[in-house]
Amino acid sequence: MSMELFGNALLSGLLLGGFYAAVAVGITIAFGMLDIVNIAHPAFIMLGAFVAYWLNVEYGLDPLLAALVAAPFAYIAGRGLYRYYHGVFERRSEDSLQGLAFFFGLLFVVEVSLLLVFGVDYRFVSAPYIGPSLTFGDYSVPYRMLVPFLAGLGVVALIALYLGRTFTGRAILAVSQDPGALRLVGGNPVKIKEAAFGLSIATAMLAGALLVIIQPIEPSMGREFIGRAFAICVLGGMTSLLGTVVAGAILGVAEAMTTTYVGAAWGPAVSFGLLLITLAVRPSGIFGR
Amino acid sequence: MGNSLSVEGLHAGYGAVKVLSGIDMSVRHGETAALLGTNGNGKSTLLKCLTGQIRPSKGRITATIDGQTHDLSALSTEAIVALGIALVPEGRRLFPKLTVDENLTLGAMPKKARAGMEERRAFCFEAFPRLKERRRQLAGSMSGGEQQMLAFGRALMSAPKILLVDEPSVGLAPILVARMIDKIAELKAALGLTVLMAEQNFNQAIRIADRGYVLVHGEIAHAAEDAASLKANDVVRRLYLGVD
Ligand SMILES: Nc1ncnc2c1ncn2[C@@H]1O[C@H](COP(=O)(O)OP(=O)(O)OP(=O)(O)O)[C@@H](O)[C@H]1O
Ligand SMILES: [Mg+2]
Repeated sequence: MSMELFGNALLSGLLLGGFYAAVAVGITIAFGMLDIVNIAHPAFIMLGAFVAYWLNVEYGLDPLLAALVAAPFAYIAGRGLYRYYHGVFERRSEDSLQGLAFFFGLLFVVEVSLLLVFGVDYRFVSAPYIGPSLTFGDYSVPYRMLVPFLAGLGVVALIALYLGRTFTGRAILAVSQDPGALRLVGGNPVKIKEAAFGLSIATAMLAGALLVIIQPIEPSMGREFIGRAFAICVLGGMTSLLGTVVAGAILGVAEAMTTTYVGAAWGPAVSFGLLLITLAVRPSGIFGR
Repeated sequence: MGNSLSVEGLHAGYGAVKVLSGIDMSVRHGETAALLGTNGNGKSTLLKCLTGQIRPSKGRITATIDGQTHDLSALSTEAIVALGIALVPEGRRLFPKLTVDENLTLGAMPKKARAGMEERRAFCFEAFPRLKERRRQLAGSMSGGEQQMLAFGRALMSAPKILLVDEPSVGLAPILVARMIDKIAELKAALGLTVLMAEQNFNQAIRIADRGYVLVHGEIAHAAEDAASLKANDVVRRLYLGVD
């Protein structure tokens, strides 16, 4: 076994992990903290990816800048979506099965819409950091992986600060444990969940921009991230952001190792394998409370 | 000036289940009023009405806070808490997967309560040193007594003027019950609170109560102007002292 091969696989796995953290953080918020099984999240990531692509191609905007411009709109759309979901399903306690069906439907609607608008061809963006690599010795790190890695970790760190330091953030951590008790301390659970869900959708916009930096995109790609995102959320302990980062790195490295030593075809099986092992060995995840 | 509560002709229940009928009661500035009654007589239901958790079908609930009178029957729970009325609820209702510190911090969520948050936290730790020892522990992993202390601490973090307490003695060892009741009197004196306390533990409650109401089947069976008249009453003797 060559050390160089192993080192490169490890490195690219870790870099991928930072991007996975950005993919999964929205699920950690919606599913882990709010009990909302938003399986359409990866479709919103694709929507974000195409918005970044469109802003890049039409207006020459850098994909990261495009994400920053679009994130407030995603936040507002997320709030609106939660209001609808709450009014139609959650308030009537019909959020388990019917809510799941709702998000499943949404997944297809978004995917088909993207298909109709952008077609099935792979689309890609241009940015100065797509192409060149950072090389040291035997190792080389493409900037198109390094930039998403840093941006992904940065976003998760910002969200961690927000949740830990603000009253709304702390209320987001508390709301699903006892919504009635949140009222007793002066918070409105519906408004809190609305803000949190808006935040979750805004992270999808960003993860989409990171995705289109990493690789060319096509509308149905989102499906590959459903299993990964939920696996990371569960492995990380559902509500822990540090867990999301660590679990993202574990999945990234596991996939990179599998691809290097076993074959690329096995890559998608890794997330489900990890999920099954987690559920069997430590159902509360790495950082579960 | 002052902080007080007043309930007139209150009817309330859960859908078709009628629980309270024609409740008239008040809590005056600076006093501790006891709401006595055995299981299922409507104590918690009344406290839920006072905190906007259930809407009365009839009647008026008003609160005076710092001399200003508010109609509570139209307000949300959040708005009532923000006015300065806090409840230590039945079952404690802590956030079990958050730490002691995080639970206390959330208690200071109302905008007016945020400024003096650290002073009030220090006050809570002084009143309940156990909470300080356990500040990084998850609330759900604490003992029943510790959880009751935290429920008090969290309520105090909102800087209340009126404190409502639902059966503080429930689930505590006899020695702890007496201490908890003493603690309520101590907190009330230190913070200048107006207190309404629901209790079944008659003997403990009347130790600190200035006045009391006895609730039987959702009606005020007896309103007592002082502890002595509470003790002497027939209803109480039948309910609590086993005398016929
Ligand atoms: N959510 C509810 N739905 C229907 N009925 C309820 C509900 N909560 C309470 N009740 C009923 O209302 C009545 C009064 O209950 P409440 O909880 O107010 O009594 P309590 O005096 O607080 O009793 P305890 O000392 O046991 O706590 C009881 O008969 C109870 O069964
Ligand atoms: Mg009760």
